[in-house]
Amino acid sequence: MQVEHHVAVPDPAAGPDIYRQHARTWLRANLPDSMRADSLDWRAPSLAESSAWEAAMYQAGLAGMTWPKAYGGHGLTLREHLAVNKEIGALPMPESVSSIGKELAGPIIMAVGTEDQKQAFLPAILAMRQFWCQGFSEPDAGSDLARLRTKAVQEGGQWRINGQKIWTSGAAKAHYCLLLTRTGTVADKHRGLLMFAVPMDTPGIRVVPIKSIDGKESFAEVFFDDVVVPDSARLGAPDEGWNAAIRVLSIERATNRMYRPWRFECELRQLIAACKSDAQLAPALDDGYVQRRVGDLVCEIDGLKGLVELTVARMLRGETIGARGSLTKLYWSECHQAFAGLALSLLSHVGPHSSPLARRAQQAFTTAYLFSRAETIYAGTTEVQLDVIAQRVMNLPKDLT
Amino acid sequence: MSHEELRPEEFAQAADAAIADALTRADPRAMAEVLAQAGLCGVMAAEDDGGLGLDLAFALPIAHAAGRLRLPLPLPEQILLARALAGTPQAAALAAGERLAGIAWHGSLQTGHARVDNGLADWVLVADGAGAALIDASALPREAQAALDPEHPQTWIALAGAPVLARLDEQAWDALRRQAHLLLAEFANGAAEGALQAAADYMATRVQFGRPLSAKQAVRHLLARMRLLQDVSSAAIRRATQADEYGAPRDTRPALAGALANAAFVIEKAIHLHGGMGFTWELPLHRALRAVRRLDAAFAGLSRDAGRAFIQSV
Repeated sequence: MQVEHHVAVPDPAAGPDIYRQHARTWLRANLPDSMRADSLDWRAPSLAESSAWEAAMYQAGLAGMTWPKAYGGHGLTLREHLAVNKEIGALPMPESVSSIGKELAGPIIMAVGTEDQKQAFLPAILAMRQFWCQGFSEPDAGSDLARLRTKAVQEGGQWRINGQKIWTSGAAKAHYCLLLTRTGTVADKHRGLLMFAVPMDTPGIRVVPIKSIDGKESFAEVFFDDVVVPDSARLGAPDEGWNAAIRVLSIERATNRMYRPWRFECELRQLIAACKSDAQLAPALDDGYVQRRVGDLVCEIDGLKGLVELTVARMLRGETIGARGSLTKLYWSECHQAFAGLALSLLSHVGPHSSPLARRAQQAFTTAYLFSRAETIYAGTTEVQLDVIAQRVMNLPKDLT
Repeated sequence: MSHEELRPEEFAQAADAAIADALTRADPRAMAEVLAQAGLCGVMAAEDDGGLGLDLAFALPIAHAAGRLRLPLPLPEQILLARALAGTPQAAALAAGERLAGIAWHGSLQTGHARVDNGLADWVLVADGAGAALIDASALPREAQAALDPEHPQTWIALAGAPVLARLDEQAWDALRRQAHLLLAEFANGAAEGALQAAADYMATRVQFGRPLSAKQAVRHLLARMRLLQDVSSAAIRRATQADEYGAPRDTRPALAGALANAAFVIEKAIHLHGGMGFTWELPLHRALRAVRRLDAAFAGLSRDAGRAFIQSV
């Protein structure tokens, strides 16, 4: 892959417009055609290719924007982060292969880790030398972490861990697992939860891939049988670490992958371009019903952009976002499912006779349609988000006060 | 101009009080007088026309409050016309609340007829070629279309021989429409917020099976969805008021189309959640629904327009 590795990153004091222009210019000059979902040269990138691309983005100042310079970040604000994300969204590039590291493990380590842990993990995550997986969910504890069973027992200067995780995305490639355990019994519910950074090559860890409906093996079951880690693998103290992590997670839910509405718009453009390129599909775009459905999506994407920009404006004013991240998560997941449903129906007649762009779009958006089933499930299901909004945003009473 | 000392949020509180005060008057003209005295009709009008000379940011909370409190007057249109007609005697009369004005979102001088959402308007702005003309509608033949709202019927006006009082050129008419999209979106969003609040309050106190209905997950989830859509409308309107990343004005159609659809959903569900009471004339939620559906009828096809424009842009 030919990408620039020594890039003059602009001074953020020049303002978000300059930074955005830098992002726009660099991304358009360097994103390989083979990684553009709307290109006829597209092919699924290998892990190494994706990793190299993200490392190059980082070198160009387009990842780790808000992380402190001391840990390899660029020390910028959410203002530049948003400006860059708009440009990332505007191009049909692959999703990060290290989102768990960058959006989950990294911010949590930043909040609860020791200085040694921050130095060991954070720069490596940004430079794409280290992949992480998330060991929270268990067969009996999905959204309800009070039922978590994976147990950590202290034995002198080390911890012995036994239990099972499930739905662990990227477990097969991960170097580390951000593992949530309990030090007591299930009767302790939310008390005694403890996090670890567990190297995935530790003896006793077994990864069993699970095939998902999009045909991939993107998640797995992970078994921990007498896995022993040193005390230095512990992230924070029992309770304390997890409580801090929850606060980080609520911010992350509101700020991660801010590019989504701009990416959805980019996908909608690809869909329209594909239809226009094909003599049989193009007439559908003159249909009032189709125009209406496209218009409804444009309205929803616009509203989602509004939610994202409002979140950034509030955070820059120093306000807390708290449970409001649930509003954004709920809205983007359903918005994208609506897009994918429209794409599937508009491209349903694509065949060998169709234009190359239409065939490319059908392949891309059929996959997107299937993958989007996961979007209302992961990171808190729709039902969990609705509960959170009712309970913590609206304060709806469950009893008479 | 934007007042340095005054912030839109502070102005919103005063707007709330003035609208609540106006609603105690039975006669719409007396309502308009109260609103004008509080500076609401002329909030954007030029100071020379008796206005406050403030920008759209100050009119938005007024439109929101008018929607939330279900003010039965075309206040957003009055505010915008008092500004757009700056320097004419009509602007001063509108800022002073002496006359009521509306905008016809259907019809034109060329088609010979036009529809306003609120039949009280003395003066009506009507499309005229690429621009628009303010006509004196007081003596023109009119037909009330009362099926949707018998109290405030949509009104068709026959425009043959209509006296033209003032004209707006294409640029001014475009600018006025953009601002109207945003103010009317905020009006609908205010109506949705009022309905949501009423439903949430009622669900928290209505006891069945030993607990408030707000304890029921089906009810909680529906209220959460209503809240989501109302928040999305607010965010979309806020965004549409701001210039885009390159300093150009943003398309206002998605914000209005979204706000109308979201408000209709929220108010319909608020009526539903009130049970049998929701279907009564006494509970005022039907007034909010009628107001939003009048706007929906006025701007029917906006979402399709936005879709068509997007398709053309690719």
